Amino acid sequence: MNKKEKAQKKEKKKKLPLRRSASNITFALREVWHVSAAYFVIYYLVTLIYAPLDFLTDSFLLRMIVNKVEGNESITSIIVYIIVIASFAIAVDLLSGMYWRVISPGMYERISASIERKLFKKASSVELACYETPAFYDKYMKAMEGARDRIMRVMNTIDNLIWRTVTLLCNSFLLFFIDPVLIIFGLLPLLLGFVRRWQNRLNKKYYDEKKPIDRRVAYVRRTFYLNEYSKEMRIGGMYSRMLKELNHTYKDFKALMKRYGFRIAIANYIQRIGLEVVTILGAMFYAVWCTVYRGSMTIGDCIVILNSIGTISYCLNSLVQNFAEFGEHSLFLEDVRYFLDYEPKIKDEENAPVARYGDIELENVFFRYEGAEVDTLKGVSMKIKKGEHVALVGQNGSGKTTLVKLLLRLYDPTSGTVKMDGEDIKDYRLSTYRDSFNCVFQDFKVFSMSVKENVLLRRCDDSDDELVVSSLKESGAYDKIMSLDNGINSTLTREFDDNGANLSIGEQQKVSLARVFADSTPVVILDEPSSALDPIAEHKMFENMMRASKGSTVIFISHRLSSAVDADRIFLLENGEIAESGTHHELMQKKGKYEAMFTFQAQNYLGKEGEGNE
Amino acid sequence: MSKKANKIPKRKKQGICRIVSNNLRIVAKVARLAPDYFISVIVEGIIWGIINSAMSIFTVYLFDALDSIDEGTTFKEVALIIGAMAVFYLLAYAFDAWYWRIYNPLLRQKLELRLHRELFEKSQTLDVSCYDDPEFYNDFVWAMDEAGARAYEVMSDIGAMIHRLVLGGTLFTLMFSIDKIVGVILLVSAILSTVIYRVGNRVWFNHEKEAKPLWRKKDYINRVFNLPEYSKELRISHASDLLIDEMDENLEKVVAVEKKYGKKYFLLYGVLNNLILHAVHYGVILYMLYQLVNGNVLIGAFAASINVIWRVRWALSDFVERITKFPKHSLFLEKYYGFLSYEPRTLSGKRAVPGFESLELKNVSFTYDFSHNPKYEYGEKKEKEKHSEKSGEALRNVSLTLKRGEKIAIVGYNGAGKTTLIKLLMRLYDPTEGEILFNGVDIREYELNEYRNRIGTVFQDFKIFAASIGENVMNGGYDPTTERETVIAALDASGFTSKLKELENGVDTVLTREFDDKGTNLSGGEGQKVAIARVFAKPFELIIMDEPSSALDPIAEYELNQAILKYASDKTVIFISHRLSTTRMADRIYMFVGGELTECGSHDELMTQNGKYAEMFNLQAEKYKKD
Repeated sequence: MNKKEKAQKKEKKKKLPLRRSASNITFALREVWHVSAAYFVIYYLVTLIYAPLDFLTDSFLLRMIVNKVEGNESITSIIVYIIVIASFAIAVDLLSGMYWRVISPGMYERISASIERKLFKKASSVELACYETPAFYDKYMKAMEGARDRIMRVMNTIDNLIWRTVTLLCNSFLLFFIDPVLIIFGLLPLLLGFVRRWQNRLNKKYYDEKKPIDRRVAYVRRTFYLNEYSKEMRIGGMYSRMLKELNHTYKDFKALMKRYGFRIAIANYIQRIGLEVVTILGAMFYAVWCTVYRGSMTIGDCIVILNSIGTISYCLNSLVQNFAEFGEHSLFLEDVRYFLDYEPKIKDEENAPVARYGDIELENVFFRYEGAEVDTLKGVSMKIKKGEHVALVGQNGSGKTTLVKLLLRLYDPTSGTVKMDGEDIKDYRLSTYRDSFNCVFQDFKVFSMSVKENVLLRRCDDSDDELVVSSLKESGAYDKIMSLDNGINSTLTREFDDNGANLSIGEQQKVSLARVFADSTPVVILDEPSSALDPIAEHKMFENMMRASKGSTVIFISHRLSSAVDADRIFLLENGEIAESGTHHELMQKKGKYEAMFTFQAQNYLGKEGEGNE
Repeated sequence: MSKKANKIPKRKKQGICRIVSNNLRIVAKVARLAPDYFISVIVEGIIWGIINSAMSIFTVYLFDALDSIDEGTTFKEVALIIGAMAVFYLLAYAFDAWYWRIYNPLLRQKLELRLHRELFEKSQTLDVSCYDDPEFYNDFVWAMDEAGARAYEVMSDIGAMIHRLVLGGTLFTLMFSIDKIVGVILLVSAILSTVIYRVGNRVWFNHEKEAKPLWRKKDYINRVFNLPEYSKELRISHASDLLIDEMDENLEKVVAVEKKYGKKYFLLYGVLNNLILHAVHYGVILYMLYQLVNGNVLIGAFAASINVIWRVRWALSDFVERITKFPKHSLFLEKYYGFLSYEPRTLSGKRAVPGFESLELKNVSFTYDFSHNPKYEYGEKKEKEKHSEKSGEALRNVSLTLKRGEKIAIVGYNGAGKTTLIKLLMRLYDPTEGEILFNGVDIREYELNEYRNRIGTVFQDFKIFAASIGENVMNGGYDPTTERETVIAALDASGFTSKLKELENGVDTVLTREFDDKGTNLSGGEGQKVAIARVFAKPFELIIMDEPSSALDPIAEYELNQAILKYASDKTVIFISHRLSTTRMADRIYMFVGGELTECGSHDELMTQNGKYAEMFNLQAEKYKKD
């Protein structure tokens, strides 16, 4: 209920005040100006030169010819006029063509890249919770998708606006000059503003309702083309179920058209009639009436009017569209700016002190995910001493990974504090704090870059080779990497390099583990680091990891309890609370949860001895 | 890069015949899939051609009437012409509004739906191996994405061409009857434009070829910043700086390419085409002026013919521009046809599938090989690459037998070929060598879908679909009135009951938020339980569990093992795992190393053998034993 109300509120908010719209538009213009002021200036200079051309080569030329012929002037003077206008037109066309075809495309790329760079930087600094708030994430995605051409579209709209306005003014002036009454016909379509507003409302509703249909079609398509669905789609009836879904979307679309199609068509019809029949034919009728019936107009003038009234109505029509475009641009830029102006709650304060490394301490930490109904962590208190090797164990959903995310300050606790060396981690400068961590996540990612860059995650040169090689050896990925054509310089994945190497998940995990070996940090966090490794690889990796990180604090998560045995301390999490803690030995003697879980798992290996007669 | 270079000459060879036939094929397909759409496009083109011609002719009449004022044209006559125009406009726009706002969108949606359906049906018959071939896969995804839009574009180009033809033809005849020389000028200029656009098209192909890798890189970087799954990595490492660097480097290359081709476009369109356009425009004006001064035409006729000439000129040049789009269409379509004509290698047999008795693998070898049949032209690979892919044999000479009621475990390290084996058993791939016998008969002889549906499988990378829990468990065909109890029982066996009780709508709960914002997102472990329930819900005689407990915690894993044992006491089960604890309950264990079957026997036998299996087991058990 509450959500719906919120959604409605947002719906209402969609109409931006004029001032905000204007500021959104200037935001776009400023972007262009910053990338290249020269480009900006030339852009509109070209427009200003180009704009009067339409009038000069059309209405003006016609009127001139007609007048001169009617006035029986010499043909040579007419020819000279035509040649002057023609050479002007050709020169302008060449100039603007040069600008549009040669300079503009590259600038377009630069301008889009500049706004994208800003968005990307922001994207990697907002707190993780933003990704989990659908409303925020949607905004972000929308901003990302369209940002690159939106800026240029603003430029383009203004360009059109100038062009049409100049043409409109010139032609209107000509008409006014001939007979002021004619202007009234040009203004008539403005009376139809309410129909246009009605149509806009209808269109908006129509597109809003069409969106879920498109989304369904897109999903069905995904189930057919994505590799991960391919096996299941070949077994059982899921395939026909999805086709049925597709057919439903058509039925829904038909129903949607039934609801809106007719009204939209009517609105459209009224506007076209108003503009083209009333204005054009009305003005024609008036002009003809003046010429034929009243005799107050020359045939030449009448012909010029018939010609330029069409141009006027066309310009008016486009201007209306241009203004509508501004609204659209502004709404869109609102999302972009909302995102860019968003102050991350967890941010890198430049003046904050550099993080110190020491004991890590959690004091009564509670945490609840955005929109969740229950706390994921419920009053966790724990202390991890400098240099300790600690295991976090527990069932799925007990809060292990969340705890790690809080340690990394990807989220801040809902209440309670996380301390490092006795100081709240919020007080440290974020980037320096995070730099003291090395982390391999359960859902680690490799990037489509060279192996080297994947390991070091920075630009690297030949002098780094040794480090990369030794790290890969430690993590167990070395042999596989060396079997690739370019060794550590091979590109991973085929995202954009057709000769890139597609590694198996296990090999990818080894590459991402090599990151930990390459850069020794005071704290190492391993979130199920061995999930994709087989037992032998896991064993070797673990031994290497422990050796390499002697002196560092190591926190690792596993639900294979066997790997926790050697830890200095084990924390067992259950439902967001620390149920037990201590060394393996202590916990086994306690005969609590840990002991029960451990025995469960051990049973399968030690079944014979444990149960005797199974 | 060099691979791309191979493709281009092939592209250039595209002769007129191929262009025409490729485009005609899509037209024929549209006519077959949505005949009403096909007809409406043609009719619309003709009608609007007539309407627009009529509008021009009205103008000519009007100007003519003005010319003859001196000969006594009355106001009534002129007013009648304008009145007729008004009525005509009212009708024409009514038709336009109805057609574009109501009729066409519906037909278009229908056409897209049918084209998609056809592709989906085709995709169902694809060998799963196609998904592993990145090049084929790219084209496949492309065909999916583009097919609807491309067909629509071809059709609207044809519609527009018909319109231009009718309009241009009518007005041209009109013009030609007034003045032959202007007609000739117009024709010549149209021919020149055709040549320019054809050259421009060729430039465009090279442009696209050169820019494509750069675009792909840009898209990739975009994706990394957009997708939530990269978000953690970007925050705790310095990867984002690296990516932005990369993006800036890429940008410079893009700008250089744009500039290089921009110059070519400028020469073609900005200079050549523009000069022709202007020459014709002012040439005609001067010529008509000459006629006017000489008294061959009156002032109204002069204005009217300049007006008409512009329409003819526009119709012709637009017609030309459209024609030159067809080679582009043809190239795109070829990929689409390439995909449609792909002939699956995993073909269905005719035999009905009997009750399960035994399964036997005889000297089975398998190599992942991405070279597809010759019919699919674009799947061709570089020789060298083919070779390097081939060197990795996923399975080598595997023989094993499985009888009804047995429970076997397949164990081994990553990449030992366990999952490949399952894919072969499911007939998602066919063995490169050797054969698989079901009840003594090669599985290739059985009806394919029936065979696959006989085996209950839980995949390691199972997927939950955007559908109700019931539909997910029953794999699509779920009948709530008769099957509800079955689904509930199956979910109970897989340990999902406690979660099910939390859900308001029980087994009718819609999963994922794809369609429904109120849908339920399950956690990895919960999802796996739903996937496991699939094998409990139907009376499968043969069950395959590919790492069924990977997302489960120890207790859930234990319970699952118990449930499987209880449920499947009389069934045949194949377990795959690298957690050896799961495998102890198996009748027989098969140990795979590097694609080969190295050891086989019961747990005790293998432990006494003291081979690889014993080594692996001890390593895992060691930590537990210590206590």
